[in-house]
Amino acid sequence: MGYKLLAKQEIGKLYEKLAKQYEVYAPIKKGIEVNWSKIEDLGDILFDFKNSSLSPKGLFFPQTEVMFEFKNDPKAEEGYILKEVPPLPKTRVLLNIRPCDAKAFSILDKVFMRDEDSLDVYWKDKRDKTVLIGLACNNPCNTCFCTEVNSSPFGEDGLDVLMVDLGDKLILKGITDRGNSLIEDFEEAESSVASKIDDLKKSAESKIKTKLSMGNILSREMLEVYEHSYWDRLHESCINCGACTFYCPTCHCFDIQDETKGEYGRRVRNWDTCMSWLFTHHASGHNPRGTKKHRVRQRFMHKFKYMPFKLDGDIGCVGCGRCIQVCPVNIDVRDVVNNMNK
Amino acid sequence: MLEGYTKEIREAAKRLIRDKKVDCVIGYSKGSIPLVDAPYFAYTEEECENLVWSGFCTKNLAKYLIKRLGKNALVAQGCVSRSIVGLINENQVKRENVYILGIWSPGMVDRRKVLERVGGKEIIDVKEDEEKLVVIGDGWEEEIKRKEVLRQNCYTCASRNAVLFDEFIGEKKESKGGGDIDNVAAPWEKLSIDERWEKFRETFKECIRCYACRNVCPLCYCAECFVDESRPQWCGKTQDEADVYTFHILRAFHCAGRCVDCGACESACPMGIKMRVLTSKLEKDIRNMYGYEPGMELGAIPPLSVYRPDDPENFITP
Amino acid sequence: MSNFEPKILAFLCNWCSYGAADLAGVSRMEYPANIRVIRVPCSGSMSPKFILEAFRQGVDGVWVSGCHPGDCHYISGNLYARRRFQLLKNLLEYIGIEPERLHFTWISSAEAGRFQEKAKQIVEAVKKVGPANEKKKLIKELKPIA
Repeated sequence: MGYKLLAKQEIGKLYEKLAKQYEVYAPIKKGIEVNWSKIEDLGDILFDFKNSSLSPKGLFFPQTEVMFEFKNDPKAEEGYILKEVPPLPKTRVLLNIRPCDAKAFSILDKVFMRDEDSLDVYWKDKRDKTVLIGLACNNPCNTCFCTEVNSSPFGEDGLDVLMVDLGDKLILKGITDRGNSLIEDFEEAESSVASKIDDLKKSAESKIKTKLSMGNILSREMLEVYEHSYWDRLHESCINCGACTFYCPTCHCFDIQDETKGEYGRRVRNWDTCMSWLFTHHASGHNPRGTKKHRVRQRFMHKFKYMPFKLDGDIGCVGCGRCIQVCPVNIDVRDVVNNMNK
Repeated sequence: MLEGYTKEIREAAKRLIRDKKVDCVIGYSKGSIPLVDAPYFAYTEEECENLVWSGFCTKNLAKYLIKRLGKNALVAQGCVSRSIVGLINENQVKRENVYILGIWSPGMVDRRKVLERVGGKEIIDVKEDEEKLVVIGDGWEEEIKRKEVLRQNCYTCASRNAVLFDEFIGEKKESKGGGDIDNVAAPWEKLSIDERWEKFRETFKECIRCYACRNVCPLCYCAECFVDESRPQWCGKTQDEADVYTFHILRAFHCAGRCVDCGACESACPMGIKMRVLTSKLEKDIRNMYGYEPGMELGAIPPLSVYRPDDPENFITP
Repeated sequence: MSNFEPKILAFLCNWCSYGAADLAGVSRMEYPANIRVIRVPCSGSMSPKFILEAFRQGVDGVWVSGCHPGDCHYISGNLYARRRFQLLKNLLEYIGIEPERLHFTWISSAEAGRFQEKAKQIVEAVKKVGPANEKKKLIKELKPIA
């Protein structure tokens, strides 16, 4: 499996090839924000960006998603019979996705598609129909720490193709069969690029200065971490908004609602957040996560203790640093982890 | 970080803790990323050394007094002290349980404006004094006048000095932001009805309903917010436009006659939504019709908890 | 458009405007059938949520009517409501909800004639501005996907 070469000016060749088969999505710039959008124009494709403001998880797990519809009339013949929503009509490609975000999807696959019995059909449909073409990070942000959570700016987890930006050209590395077949027509790169990529990778990784220690978190008993005295202080400044969870590429909690109007009814699921008291509020009035401390602890315990425990060691954080950027009160996940580990 | 003020805050905080005047001093500590400072709770003299004062103290610390036990000292610039007055008037905070370290605000910085100014480039560090910021990136540096990148609400500030305090940090300085709020409040009034709706949509359609604006606001202390109510459910949980807009209309309306225009909502919004367009309209109407300015006076009765026989009635269909 | 018959939701105070509607009825005073009435204990018990919910459900107009100021059965309910309504009406107009869609009146239980007159006037005003469904401001729409 070799490397392919593509001059950046000729990105059109790749785009055309993709556009023939797929709807193409990529991060595009609007003001100071970079966000995922369907690409209609070749010129919108960006190479000079850090990462999208919001993660691309909404493309697989929309903030509001209809699960099924029904006729809200018990007397009608088809009354209350569930009607499936149509699957994704067209296959898609996500171009220039960062390795951290792609890795987030492979982690979420373990949640949404763990086994036959707990298959999330909505997630699976979109995952199956989407090709991920990654763009390695040559210049990670100050808030990035992917190397500390089992990933890398050049990570390949979850990707079909990894592209490496060499300035005027791109190196394409096929990772899956699906990816390889997409790039097979392109010019073969010399074998020396492997070492070049390796150098770039090392240089990118060395730019990540954050060091996280997680040994104690992972080795200690669950309850010991749960009862860590640090939680008494951490929650104080938290305002329990959901910004961190909505920006997080791996946060995946949702709330299910039935909505009706006249004869029409539908079930929708919406992003929800463990920061909200309502999220765990029982019909009885009891709330097992009744205080702010419970809720703040939950988010970090989930990512750094429960998920590794349940998902064969996979940490529920990919180190993208978005929560650090958006937290209104500057709760920094890097400090949280290091303090949890004390 | 503004060093003179920082030093004085630390001294005062340490003294209060040492003399057991308060259990905790609530202020700001230096944030882990540039242009953002973090609310901080200092319980010991040692922790008081982490307190700072800067142009990035954009939250409203009065929020933390609600339902908080013990006696707390709070670093409060004008708007925050006004929120404390409001909370005392609304019986949410007891005056004797809060020790207000009043301070002058140099006008807080709008992080987005700075990022726009440098074209979205990554900022590594920021230095500041009362007049300017020096923004430092990887291999570049830019000097920006503070007054060019203030938050919008800081330009029309009614009181930069704390209005209620037990002790004042530093000296009282020019208290007005300089701009006239009545010139900039309610910017859509001049538009046609459909243009207004378009502006309203444009402003709020990006909302992701993280509720940072609600949760950062010291006015939002209801035991159960209307968006969380389910029987009846006034506001759906979806991203449908009607649900998003219902949230914003009612959120603003619930702040009527209480909003001190501290700007915390806009500073907290990760999407950069300018929700003050709604609160500024309400507060302008209240000033004009009822002659009331929130948070200026202990014991004042909020305008929606009172009436006058001759209140204006031009909402009545003639 | 000419045969557009709006749906108007009226919140009428139990002690006055509802009585006026009742009196208009027993007096055989005709008024347009576009109005659906919900009786409320007092105009002071009106929450802005009720009005927004009506618009969300797709009504073309909302009408709130209470006792004349000074005549409130609960002494001052309508006087407190007055400030709220004034601000709410201004706010909704400010964000682009046509003022013709939201009406407030004070009508006592003896004023059946006034009730009839206002009902006609409000229906005309809403007819003039057209169906809410056209611009769909604030309407919570639920439609089949396919």
